[in-house]
Amino acid sequence: MSSLLSITRPTKRDSRSNDYDSDVDMKDAMSEYQDEGSKDNTSVVTPGELVTEDPTWMKGHGTYSLENQTYSSVAGNVLRLNRLLSVIPIRGRYEAETGDYIIGRITEVGQKRWKVDIGCKQDAILMLGSVNLPGGILRRKSESDELQMRNFLKEGDLLNAEVQSVYSNGQAALHTRSLRYGKLRNGVLLKVPSSLIIRQKNHSWNLPGNVSVIIGVNGFIWLSKTSSTSTAPSVNASTNSAQSALASKGGYKPGEGSVSITRLEEESSWEIYSDKNDEISASIRGTISRYHNVIKAMSACELGITEKRICMGYDASMMYADTSMLIEREAQEIICQDIIDSEKMRGD
Amino acid sequence: MSRLELYSPEGLRVDGRRWNELRRFDCKINTHPAFDGSSYVEQGNSKVICMVRGPMEPPMRSQVNQTQAVIEMNLNIASFSTLQRRKRSKNDKRMIEMKTTLERTFEQSVMSHLYPRTLIEVNVQVLAQDGAVLATMTNAITLALIDAGVAMYDYVSAVSVGIHDQTPLLDLNVLEENDMSCLTIGVVGKSEKLAMLLLEDKMPLDKLENALAVAIAGGHRIRDLMDDEVRSHGNQRVSKLTS
Repeated sequence: MSSLLSITRPTKRDSRSNDYDSDVDMKDAMSEYQDEGSKDNTSVVTPGELVTEDPTWMKGHGTYSLENQTYSSVAGNVLRLNRLLSVIPIRGRYEAETGDYIIGRITEVGQKRWKVDIGCKQDAILMLGSVNLPGGILRRKSESDELQMRNFLKEGDLLNAEVQSVYSNGQAALHTRSLRYGKLRNGVLLKVPSSLIIRQKNHSWNLPGNVSVIIGVNGFIWLSKTSSTSTAPSVNASTNSAQSALASKGGYKPGEGSVSITRLEEESSWEIYSDKNDEISASIRGTISRYHNVIKAMSACELGITEKRICMGYDASMMYADTSMLIEREAQEIICQDIIDSEKMRGD
Repeated sequence: MSRLELYSPEGLRVDGRRWNELRRFDCKINTHPAFDGSSYVEQGNSKVICMVRGPMEPPMRSQVNQTQAVIEMNLNIASFSTLQRRKRSKNDKRMIEMKTTLERTFEQSVMSHLYPRTLIEVNVQVLAQDGAVLATMTNAITLALIDAGVAMYDYVSAVSVGIHDQTPLLDLNVLEENDMSCLTIGVVGKSEKLAMLLLEDKMPLDKLENALAVAIAGGHRIRDLMDDEVRSHGNQRVSKLTS
């Protein structure tokens, strides 16, 4: 009886019918590939689909096994690494990996730790012991530090950090024990899907137009005015500014007045936890918003985001005098096409 | 009895279908990119949007479960969704029942043990009701969860079936639903296992097997239609990322 079942066809299926045909081909390719054990990136599997009947494969993420048969549990691509079989979902939240350069926002101040929203399944943890505190690296964390944790970082503050480790339950632990990491100021945050970010050696760049970008692996991007210290790495200048900041603040500050030996100690003064933004000129604000909209266009067109592409997109966006024009769909597509074209011209 | 002839002697229903025909089924995924997962499903004239957020950190401590993810369903039926405008409150008995049914269904089919101490927030918005609303909602949630990349054992595809005299009628519209006893089932993938079964009135036991067989076959067909959409969307995305 069930074979009699006939069903009204959905209307708009012309464009998909081609896809469906190619899909059948892909399934064939898939079965061949299962026999050969070669690598095929183009096949998409969906939940409940039989991936392999071979019990020798180890079951990784995105799979489950029933009676020695491995099924997919997400919609994505099959990845076979040695004897490990996993399915990488097409979409999904960012998953932290040790060593990732990320940007996050403080959501909670707790006992000796901060909770940081990094766009992950769970909030990451930043321990008081894994941040640089004013007064240098050798300073011990005392009870008074614990009490004034909110003076360093409070709810809503943005920071860049590195993933120190990932616990077995998937929660990430962060650290900011480097001059590169710490609180973020003088800029704007932009969120894009983390799948568009490619892991690179370097994630922070100075772009033309006196703007710096930090591309977090978790898909959070920070655009800010290039700080004067990073363009002119003169130790004296930074020391002076740090000390004048200290003087103006007044009150007791740990590490104040001590003779600093390394630059780290100077830099990790209270200034790095300051909430005050520098004066940002209107032209830089304009440039930042232009970069912001260029990156937004790239994420709307699902183009991988790299520093080179941002620069190319910026050049392409110059044909629009008004940056607010860039949020329109046509403009976004034109810019992305421009980026792809100029990449082809260069032969990348 | 109603004056409408629900099933003519020639074997045609009020909207011209045969007993074993589904209504037009149309679905889209990733309709709201701001959410982790989203979908839009049309089953006949029933229209549902579903948006999923998560797995994410629960905003309230009370929602934390140390061993598995908590699934929160928020149902909303628009007051303009029926012919007569009618406001439905969140605490409506029927709404609560649908909510619990859906929660129980998806607690079973989502691999929630993989996401301890997280919350999966599912928001369902019904835009138009033309029978089988629960089935449409279930299909929309399945698609949105898949779009969000949440691990599931299999698709849950739902369809309703009614009994008119002796014949089972597949996928009832609102006119038929009002006049006969109707059963909504959620089928797990291509199997004959049920993740959901809801019967709000009486149904003769000797007809039940027949009705279930028709409904399961209909569920499999809906699964195929949803699978097509997921695959074509996936291939589209993959080709974009590799190009």
